[in-house]
Amino acid sequence: MTITEKTMIEFRDVHKYYGDYHALRGINGTIRAGEFFSLLGPSGCGKTTLLRTIAGFEDISSGVIMIDGKDMADVAPNARPTNMVFQSYAIFPHMSVAENVGFGLRRDPRSKADKARAVEEALDMVGLRGFGARAAHALSGGQRQRVALARALILKPKVLLLDEPLSALDKKMREHMQVELIKLQRQVGITFILVTHDQEEALVMSDRVAVMFEGEIAQLADPETLYRRPNSKQVADFIGTMNFIPVTVLSEAGDTVEIEAKGLGRVSLDASLAPPVRGESPVVGMRPETLTLLYDDQKAAERETEGVIDEVIYFGDMTYYDVYLGGTDVEVRLSMRNVPGRPVLEVGTKVRVAWSPSALVLFR
Amino acid sequence: MASSQGKEARTGWLLISPPAIYALLLLAAPLATVLIYSVLTGGRGEIGLPFTLSNFAELFQKPIYQSVMLRSLYVSLAVTFVTVVLAYPIAYFVSFHVSPSKKALWLFLITIPFWTSYVIRVALWRTILGYEGIVDSALINIGVINEPLNILSNGMLSMIITLSHAYAPFAVLPIFVSLEKVDRSLLEAGQDLGESRLMTFIRVTLPLTMPGVIAAVLIVFIPTVGDYVTPELIGGGKVPLIANLIESQMLKIRDQAQGSAIAVAAMFVVGMVSLVFVLLNRRFLGGQK
Repeated sequence: MTITEKTMIEFRDVHKYYGDYHALRGINGTIRAGEFFSLLGPSGCGKTTLLRTIAGFEDISSGVIMIDGKDMADVAPNARPTNMVFQSYAIFPHMSVAENVGFGLRRDPRSKADKARAVEEALDMVGLRGFGARAAHALSGGQRQRVALARALILKPKVLLLDEPLSALDKKMREHMQVELIKLQRQVGITFILVTHDQEEALVMSDRVAVMFEGEIAQLADPETLYRRPNSKQVADFIGTMNFIPVTVLSEAGDTVEIEAKGLGRVSLDASLAPPVRGESPVVGMRPETLTLLYDDQKAAERETEGVIDEVIYFGDMTYYDVYLGGTDVEVRLSMRNVPGRPVLEVGTKVRVAWSPSALVLFR
Repeated sequence: MASSQGKEARTGWLLISPPAIYALLLLAAPLATVLIYSVLTGGRGEIGLPFTLSNFAELFQKPIYQSVMLRSLYVSLAVTFVTVVLAYPIAYFVSFHVSPSKKALWLFLITIPFWTSYVIRVALWRTILGYEGIVDSALINIGVINEPLNILSNGMLSMIITLSHAYAPFAVLPIFVSLEKVDRSLLEAGQDLGESRLMTFIRVTLPLTMPGVIAAVLIVFIPTVGDYVTPELIGGGKVPLIANLIESQMLKIRDQAQGSAIAVAAMFVVGMVSLVFVLLNRRFLGGQK
């Protein structure tokens, strides 16, 4: 895997209308050569539409899409350096596995034997060695997906487009395929663009993620930045769990903002780390794992606040606690690993919660 | 458990008994009669024992039978070909280019001309194709031809035109259904993998819709081989097909044994040709479920 600074795909103010419906509202951004890129968002946010404009199945209403430095405006899907793994896999039911994988090689000048060898290699790469003669309809969901992958990768595209490829698989299989796809991407070094509504999947698999809402990219960043420094409340809420606590801004001097957070008290935050000001009523967000229950005589490294446990959600390896902070009606969810010697506490227990001002994200 | 199953089976038999009795009396019984008649000794208005194969021997001895059978096959294969080739684009258009909410309306509109009696439609084709008919006068008026073409005088051609029109909706429907079943993402996949729209059609759409095409072929081919009305009304009886031959044997010459033998032989030929189509269908169905 070599992610370079080289741009593979560039969007310049891309708009797409279906009649009156504004599906893509000014998409800008670049996807680098060799990266695993995800388009993440709820259904109807335009992520699949954006993927299909890259493949050429949808015309754009205005704007420019460049692939490897070339404007794709008048390039038909069959002439684009992209290949797609369809959500339904789109395996040709009247063909064998080998015929499916070799479908795109018709005009390849290589000899028949060479093409057959290429098909074998492609099947080998996706773990389907010896499946060539099988009828396509006799395959399981996971196998169909591998055939779809082999069929696309055999053509050595510059960009591989994956439209929710894992959504039809069960949880175990999905997690397995996530790892396999990452390995495969590293092996072939092709730019992968994945469309998904599963934020966990996007975080696990991607080098960078574009979070989309209502036809716009809300944030384009690497998974860690997205998770730790979401640039809006909406992104923060969509990715993982985040507690939101209403605050009042007391004073602002340079990069330091003094706030009064209900249940937490006075805190000073570094404004340079905060997302842009949007004029919303101010809240701070904190992830469940940035809050810790203090047992016995443990001391907080930075700040601590008293609370009462309202709800206990036991997950086996983890326990989630909903805790009322400092005698207020502000409730936060926090997560604790169930390590030996750390008992699961009961509802109603009075606890001390440790937290760190640097883990707070101020949205306003 | 066993008794409840038996009861269910009895209810089932009761439910299908009206059509079963119908099929037995009006299909199986006449068919058996024709089969038996074909090996009886017949004469003018009489039929009886002994059993003989001479009726079938007659079919091989007199060239008229073979030539009329061949002509029937030729006409019905030509009709089948023309009908299916013309029906496919219609079905394709409705399936791919008509919005889903309007498809039912389109199919309805396609069938409207066929609410008129077939005899009336044949009569209209006579007016259209006949000497100085609509085709002739139109072409003369715009100066394409000077002499009337009188297509009607060409019995075979006018029969093919008339029958192709008559069977068009029966061919459109099965092809339409098979086109509707084609997953549209397969067509995108074809283009995505580097093929043009035309090549995607040839490599994906056409093979996937072959079962519908074969069904259309059978639906058109089988009844047209036995068509009896069209040669009478269009060809004026001058270009008889196999059904007309059977009719004249049965009703004019009144040799029911010989007539039955022609019918059985025709059924056999149609059965064989249909079998070829069915096997072709299997071939194309083999790769999919």
